[in-house]
Amino acid sequence: MTLSATPPPEVISRSDTTMVLSMGPQHPSTHGVLQIVLEIDSENVVKADPEIGYLHTGIEKSAEGLFWTQAQTVIERMDYLAPSSNALCYALAVEKLLGITDKIPQRAQTIRVLTGELTRIASHCVWLGTHGIDLGAISVFFYCFDLRENILDLQEATGGARMHPNYMRVGGLNGDLPDGLLARLDALIEKFPRRMRELRGLLQANPIFQDRTIDIGTLSPEEAVQWNVTGPSLRASGIAYDVRKAFPYCGYETYDFDVPTRSEGDAYARFLVRLDEMDQSIRIIEQARRRLDTPGPVMIDDPKVALPPKETIALSMEALIHHFKLISEGFRVPPGDVYHSVESPRGELGYYIVSNGENKPYRIRTRPPSLYNLQALKGIAPGNLIADLVVMIGSLDPVFGEVDR
Amino acid sequence: MPSTQVPPIAGAAIDPPSLRPPIDDAVIERVAPSDLRSRLEALKTDGYAMLLDLGAVDYLGRSPRFDVVYHLLRLAPRPATVAEVGTPVRVRILCGLEEDRSLPTVSDLWKSADWAEREVFDLFGIRFDGHPDLRRIQMPDDWVGHPLRKDYPMRGPALERAPRPAFANKTNVVAGSPPSGRTLEALQEQIKRVREGGS
Repeated sequence: MTLSATPPPEVISRSDTTMVLSMGPQHPSTHGVLQIVLEIDSENVVKADPEIGYLHTGIEKSAEGLFWTQAQTVIERMDYLAPSSNALCYALAVEKLLGITDKIPQRAQTIRVLTGELTRIASHCVWLGTHGIDLGAISVFFYCFDLRENILDLQEATGGARMHPNYMRVGGLNGDLPDGLLARLDALIEKFPRRMRELRGLLQANPIFQDRTIDIGTLSPEEAVQWNVTGPSLRASGIAYDVRKAFPYCGYETYDFDVPTRSEGDAYARFLVRLDEMDQSIRIIEQARRRLDTPGPVMIDDPKVALPPKETIALSMEALIHHFKLISEGFRVPPGDVYHSVESPRGELGYYIVSNGENKPYRIRTRPPSLYNLQALKGIAPGNLIADLVVMIGSLDPVFGEVDR
Repeated sequence: MPSTQVPPIAGAAIDPPSLRPPIDDAVIERVAPSDLRSRLEALKTDGYAMLLDLGAVDYLGRSPRFDVVYHLLRLAPRPATVAEVGTPVRVRILCGLEEDRSLPTVSDLWKSADWAEREVFDLFGIRFDGHPDLRRIQMPDDWVGHPLRKDYPMRGPALERAPRPAFANKTNVVAGSPPSGRTLEALQEQIKRVREGGS
């Protein structure tokens, strides 16, 4: 190619009092593959430079070679702890390009909200469990994964897979909720408050946990905005920006929920905000559950986008043709560009999508919340102990599938 | 380098943003590279405190070739409640850029631009003047080429030169762009030759 990489400048300056230490990329507390080049003065961090890219899989490039429907499969793999958020955001953005946003059935929207909030709880469970392990509290992990297991069971019932259900579709959903799922959901809603009490009881008032997290990794509101931090980490710094409230989608404006905020901005505040968020999520789930008693369609009634019902294919020539066309060449999306964002468990997840009128996306640019949240580590790490670095990474909750894409 | 991704429709379809009135809730502006820095500075003073995202798109065959896209968010200072946040304003700045030209960095205005600009440099080869540490970020330091450019082969330069298995040349013909990079016309030509040779 015409341009070559600049020769890497001296990343870290060396002097007599400090030394350079590479933390990771194989380190249990880096939640994936993150390398941090640290300049340390005895145990104090003088400068931290995170090196990312170890999990780069070229998802944005691959998506350019796939049909609009197929691209969603790879996109779901970005944030592997909250796959439905990615799929939802992508589907919403493509629907905007297609101009069918207001034709999505009500029931599909409700189930999307339900899935989005379930995936938020599941993702926060992983965060809480691993954050606990980072700090030496092993048992939290088992409680969290037990709760997450229940949610993954529901995901498996809807989409067929535990990790990447691929349940969202452009135009609606893959299918309606299976029989018996609502009863299981009711059981989950019923036992959730007790579960949350247990989770809070394990860590919230724990003096060791408080010692390790209070006043660690403090982000002031101005700094958080400068570093482009979003999601729970931003709200823990006192800024009540939540995409669900600021730019509502899927009818979030009709749900009654609060946006938990704290003003301290430290790791403990981020911990509390995420726990409060889980309570709010279950509130939204309860409201969505009540709306699901009335049956209805879950896919847009548009043969150019939605696959015809399987049973009609043998009976209707049109259905057969539509099915063949959609499978073999996909649907075409009118040219244009759009930016759409949702509140993923990690923050504002956005897709800037350009279509040139073809059956494949021309360009999909992700706004990855984890990338920007993790970048703030450069600002908050200096002046802290190495051991606290682990707390900071955990409290920012990065997912490397999304940081590196 | 063989191209597998050149958009099949030439001309207007190469510039999708210009074809359609804006469909999202953002304010969209097109800015020349020379005015970019002053425009962004003015927006920042105006309360656009957050640089939500910075990305690029390669419109191969269009002039200017690249669009660098800035998403800005206007927030009230320290909005502690949802009511204070209200509906913030989003602005999208599109900046057309010719190949081999560079843009001024904004990493001194927004710290978050640091990695975002590195990523655009890494994947598109667009340089940002004044960036303190313009290195590759996603790809290895010794990588050649910029993968998100449209003339960068989908499977990477090494695999692109290797012969393909026979079945790979047949898939996706209906879709208009087989993964082999050969056009539908070339395939039809081949089929025709085989038929004529056989009869």
